[in-house]
Amino acid sequence: MDELFGIPMSGIALGSLLATLAILVAVGFIALRNPVMFKMGLRNIPRRPAQTTLIVVGLMLSTLIITAAFGTGDTLTRSVTAEVFQQLGQADELINWDQEEHPAPESEQVIPEELVTELRTTFADDPDIEAFVPFRNQSLPLINTRTNLNEPGANISGYHLEDTDMFGGLVDLDGNQVTLEGNEVAVNENLAEGIEAEPGDTLIGFFQDQPVELEVAAIVPTNVLGGVRDPASLPGGTVSLEFLVELTGNEGVYDGIWVSNTGDEREGLERTNVVMERLEAFLEGTPFHATAEKQDNVAFAEALGNLFTTFFVVLGLFSIAAGVLLIFLIFVMLAAERKPEMGMARAVGAKRRHVVESFLAEGMGYDLGAAVVGLFAGMGVTVVMVAIVNYFGADLLGLDLSASFTWRGLVTAFCLGIIATFIVIFVSSWRASRLNIVAAVRDLPEAPPVNPEQGTWYGLLRAVLNAFAAVGFFLISFIASMRIPDLAPLFAAGMLLGLVGPFIYALRGRSFSAPASERVEGEGIPVWPFFTIVGIPFYLAALLLVRLTRDRRPARLPVWAMVLGILVMPVGLVVAALQERRVPVAWSAGFATLGAILGMFLMQWGMDVGRYFQFTVGFTLIMVWFAVIMRYFHFRERLAFTASGLILLVFWYLPEEALSWLLPEMTGDIEMFFVSGVAVITAATFVVVYNADIVLPVVVRLGSRFSRIVPAIKTGVAYPLTARFRTGMTMAMIGLIMFALVMNASLNTNFENVFLSDEAKGGFDVRVITTPDNPIPDIGTAVDEAGLETDDVRGAGRVLAAMPFEAEVSNIDGRGPVDDDGQPRDFLRYTFLGLNDGFIETADIPLRRLSSAFDSEDAVWEAFRREENLAIIPAQISAEQQGFGEDPMMQDNLLHLDPIEDGFEPFELDLRDPGTGNIETVTVIAQAQEAAGIFFNGIFLREQDLQQAYPGAQNQQYYIALEDGVDSEAFARHLEASLLIASVDSIDSLLDEQRSLQTGFLFVFQGFMGLGLIVGIAALGVVASRSVVERRQQIGMLRAIGYKRSMVALSFIFESTFIALSGIVMGLVLGLVLAWLLFTTGEIGEEAEGFSFIIPWAQLGIIAGIAFAAALLMTFLPARAASRVPVAEALRYE
Amino acid sequence: MSENGSRDVVIEAHQVVKTYDTGLVQVRALNGVDLVARRGDMLAIMGPSGCGKTTLLNCLSGLDEFDSGTVTIDGQDITRMADNKKTEFRAKSMGFIFQTYNLLPVLTAAENVELPLIVSGTRPSEARRRAVAALDKVALADRANDRPAQLSGGQRQRVTIARSIVNDPAIMWADEPTGALDSQTATEIMDLLAEVNESLQQTTIMVTHDPGVAARCHRTIHMADGEILREDSQAEMLAAIGKR
Repeated sequence: MDELFGIPMSGIALGSLLATLAILVAVGFIALRNPVMFKMGLRNIPRRPAQTTLIVVGLMLSTLIITAAFGTGDTLTRSVTAEVFQQLGQADELINWDQEEHPAPESEQVIPEELVTELRTTFADDPDIEAFVPFRNQSLPLINTRTNLNEPGANISGYHLEDTDMFGGLVDLDGNQVTLEGNEVAVNENLAEGIEAEPGDTLIGFFQDQPVELEVAAIVPTNVLGGVRDPASLPGGTVSLEFLVELTGNEGVYDGIWVSNTGDEREGLERTNVVMERLEAFLEGTPFHATAEKQDNVAFAEALGNLFTTFFVVLGLFSIAAGVLLIFLIFVMLAAERKPEMGMARAVGAKRRHVVESFLAEGMGYDLGAAVVGLFAGMGVTVVMVAIVNYFGADLLGLDLSASFTWRGLVTAFCLGIIATFIVIFVSSWRASRLNIVAAVRDLPEAPPVNPEQGTWYGLLRAVLNAFAAVGFFLISFIASMRIPDLAPLFAAGMLLGLVGPFIYALRGRSFSAPASERVEGEGIPVWPFFTIVGIPFYLAALLLVRLTRDRRPARLPVWAMVLGILVMPVGLVVAALQERRVPVAWSAGFATLGAILGMFLMQWGMDVGRYFQFTVGFTLIMVWFAVIMRYFHFRERLAFTASGLILLVFWYLPEEALSWLLPEMTGDIEMFFVSGVAVITAATFVVVYNADIVLPVVVRLGSRFSRIVPAIKTGVAYPLTARFRTGMTMAMIGLIMFALVMNASLNTNFENVFLSDEAKGGFDVRVITTPDNPIPDIGTAVDEAGLETDDVRGAGRVLAAMPFEAEVSNIDGRGPVDDDGQPRDFLRYTFLGLNDGFIETADIPLRRLSSAFDSEDAVWEAFRREENLAIIPAQISAEQQGFGEDPMMQDNLLHLDPIEDGFEPFELDLRDPGTGNIETVTVIAQAQEAAGIFFNGIFLREQDLQQAYPGAQNQQYYIALEDGVDSEAFARHLEASLLIASVDSIDSLLDEQRSLQTGFLFVFQGFMGLGLIVGIAALGVVASRSVVERRQQIGMLRAIGYKRSMVALSFIFESTFIALSGIVMGLVLGLVLAWLLFTTGEIGEEAEGFSFIIPWAQLGIIAGIAFAAALLMTFLPARAASRVPVAEALRYE
Repeated sequence: MSENGSRDVVIEAHQVVKTYDTGLVQVRALNGVDLVARRGDMLAIMGPSGCGKTTLLNCLSGLDEFDSGTVTIDGQDITRMADNKKTEFRAKSMGFIFQTYNLLPVLTAAENVELPLIVSGTRPSEARRRAVAALDKVALADRANDRPAQLSGGQRQRVTIARSIVNDPAIMWADEPTGALDSQTATEIMDLLAEVNESLQQTTIMVTHDPGVAARCHRTIHMADGEILREDSQAEMLAAIGKR
């Protein structure tokens, strides 16, 4: 894994490490400068061990998620890379025939002995090249005569045995040198496992229907010297080149030459670029080319790791967002708890800064502890996830996954966790420090400062000016620089100027910024800005500006000056500095308006570039502004937030077509999953917390039928509605995670139905794969000869396949990789499947798109069977790529077509035979359903048309449809045992393996996202624990007037139930509805068209049940503690 | 005594001992207290801080456990009651007033007042009717839908009084009921408590620092170091504060 969201991992690692060091240095500085406040903060940590544990659990989530995401990426990269190194060993580059540039029949694509000699002579003294090892390959079906097990397509390589010494020699699994004489074969581990081969066994191979006897001399590692041709074809073995030449003829030529770079298998990789340059120069003008096999495969492994890391980070964003909410909530509550002592500290002389420092000290204690716990927990989660994928069938992916971590990944995850938590702690500490001393000492509610300008247009204008000066200028310049890259230098200057703003506000409350008459001696300027290092010049500029303006402030800023200040950045900073420093600023209204302006900008940007991300974020910002401004102008808060919440919900749930008359075509990517979740859950939380009091009396009335619990219900619902902030936060945390889980479960289930339904079988039950050299002329005879009942067979058909390396097709839509001139290639590769009459008659492959020439699927198949040169394309050929960063499959040289609509005009494709360069033209008349792509992923032609276009195609498969009730597995087993030279499988079993793998991935995704539930549940625990402390006296009173212990406990349980159920229902409903909308409208994949939406009730029930049970369990302890509060003691408690 | 002797004994405490264990030292808060209160009694408990006034009130009302001795209320020994039974007993027979009001901030005045009724199983509509009636008695019927934060200190204490009388309890316990109020409001509250005591013939036990408040009660018990030093009649208290 070397990239995340396109940013190099090394950059992320270095940046996060430096930021973490800066944080630690700053905290260390605080500890040295003010040890009393620092200790005051730190000593709070062990005061309540249970609460501290909950906080650490909540805070560790960010680190855990990031560690697990990085761990997954590293595991994949490491596993795939390890396979590459293991399989290629010393081989770094491969020289073979260049089919692209020099089409020729396969039999002619050989390398003469002279080229090997010339290479060895030319590069004899090359310091970067160690060896050239030529080889021959032959695919053979093999049967172990001792075990009767067979392998229908083993790759047998032939080497000059003396050449293998250059690759470290042919050695067995114990490292002993292997020599091969006559018909001796060294079987690789993979093949040996398949046919249970042991040294001394006799294998029978078939070459052109003639048996060949081979003696197993040794079992060797699965690598190029052991007959590995490519990662997709591992079973194989090695014989002496002489034996292979004797068997297949054609002496003095090779299929390829492995090139080994100087150094061991990993060091050699670093020399690839220079070696490739020299080889390409040498091979210039010949029909041969060199490919950087090891480097390409390692790059693929890296890309795969990046893909998975990005994917898991995006999935984890929900949990990280919930974690951030939790951190904020925890610190708001801690601040409330510490209010009297903080007030007292302030009363006896502690400055606001000291309060922040004390909180920071405490917060960093939790932060560091949580990062360490999160790191190890994240590693544990990775191990579990890898184990699950392995259990459910990683072998289907051809991978042997074992969890592995890199120092870089671990350090980055640790640092990012610390940074994320620190930022939230800093913001909440700052918020906590702004307390009214008297209110804090007496533990009274905080009264907002009186602002005579509140609710006036003048006040709003001033608020906007301040929002612009504080952060707006920087933000606008930053976004504009991305929007208009051509003017980036100008906007960069704007960003730099904008950075002066925050420092003006850092000085605003200080004596330094007061006019002469109010200035006090002894209070200097803040020192902390100097520790920002890069901020020093901006701080100095702010100092100068404040120094110049402090004695020149008008009593009231003129409106024109403020308008000018908003429009012209430098003027804005001066005007902001000129305002009377004691007049309060309506910051929320100012920031909301800034957000709305940015929102409009983003909407326009989104429409312009056709991206939903900018457009929807912009609209959401405008709606937040709407609510805040309504409140600013004293409209009822309930009305303001309910209206904006409802508008947002309608906006997010409007089908794409509903606004198509107004908006241009736009697209969204994986990030929309997260953005939509956050937006709809926030909107729904507004609606619920501001309106639950309307619904709850009904609940209480319903509950009144059970008179014993009425008092508990009454207090249970009254508290959450009064504490809207923490109720809303907790509800949103649970809602967010539920939303993600529900969306994932619903979409997965439905897409599994699309891709892995029984339609994938195409009407067949058994698949028979043969090898080119040993075709089966007639499957009916083979079945008969196997002693199987022919009455059990409903039908059978043959598919002749031209693999991508054998088949070229015109790139009519100009997509896919480009050539050296940056132009789309004229021809790309694809798999073509030639269907014989038996196949066409028996198959039941549904079609998803019919051309205008046909009105039914039957008509298409009928025409396909009768007429020549017609083609049916697979659904996958026009599937849109869903981006998670660079798609490692994009460089596959395969044909990609634009999506087609039903009733499309038939179009032509040119098929070019890479061997001869001959071109045949076919007409596309339909597109097959997605599910067919599981077993029949290729362009369908008639068998005879395929032979015409690609005469070299020899891969043959048979498909057998059985009568109802016939056991396909038993049939396949029996047939394979009889055929010996073919691989026979039950299609049901193959499909089940695919589904099992899909289930494994689903478990991993669900489990990973479900980690976020820990946050929501921890939040409930924190809120409940804190409530017990806060309400101790009230609990005493309740007990005094007759609440039984059980009733007090029940009241707390109801409280959590209300919050948890609201969050769960919110996530469930919003997630399900959005999944249904996206699926049925085809907005996330037109593959779903025509399929009805399935609600995975069982999965959703389990998810909701676990979430609810865990929430109750988490509240149980605080509830029990509440019920056990000693009454008299509680009544004395303050 | 002769006057009270004709009425039923409602509260009888015998040799009540209560010790607080702070871990380092043990503090004997009540050191063998004996006390008798009859129906309609309005009894004040006075003494310096830490003398055990509130502890005595808590032990007598069943809010707190004690080490030894017995407390009998209406002929029932509360030391022999299980927690739930004691809680039910409190809900039906007792009302409480505290210095800091102890109202639930999240409920309205009427909802606060009706809580004891709901706890003892009264139908919600009946509970609301009686809660409003109780608020009416303390002249706050018009503030029934206000939350505590919207009321003044005196009004909050009136709500507390309404809550303590809403279920017609036999005993009202008051811990510094005027401690947080100004003198004018304190007088109004004491008038109200006296009126309630008189009209409902409740037994009122009140802890106070204020001799003026104690002088409104029929009897005043003086405590020091966990023991009862002496008992003054209302006349003696009035004399002591120079109001006779």
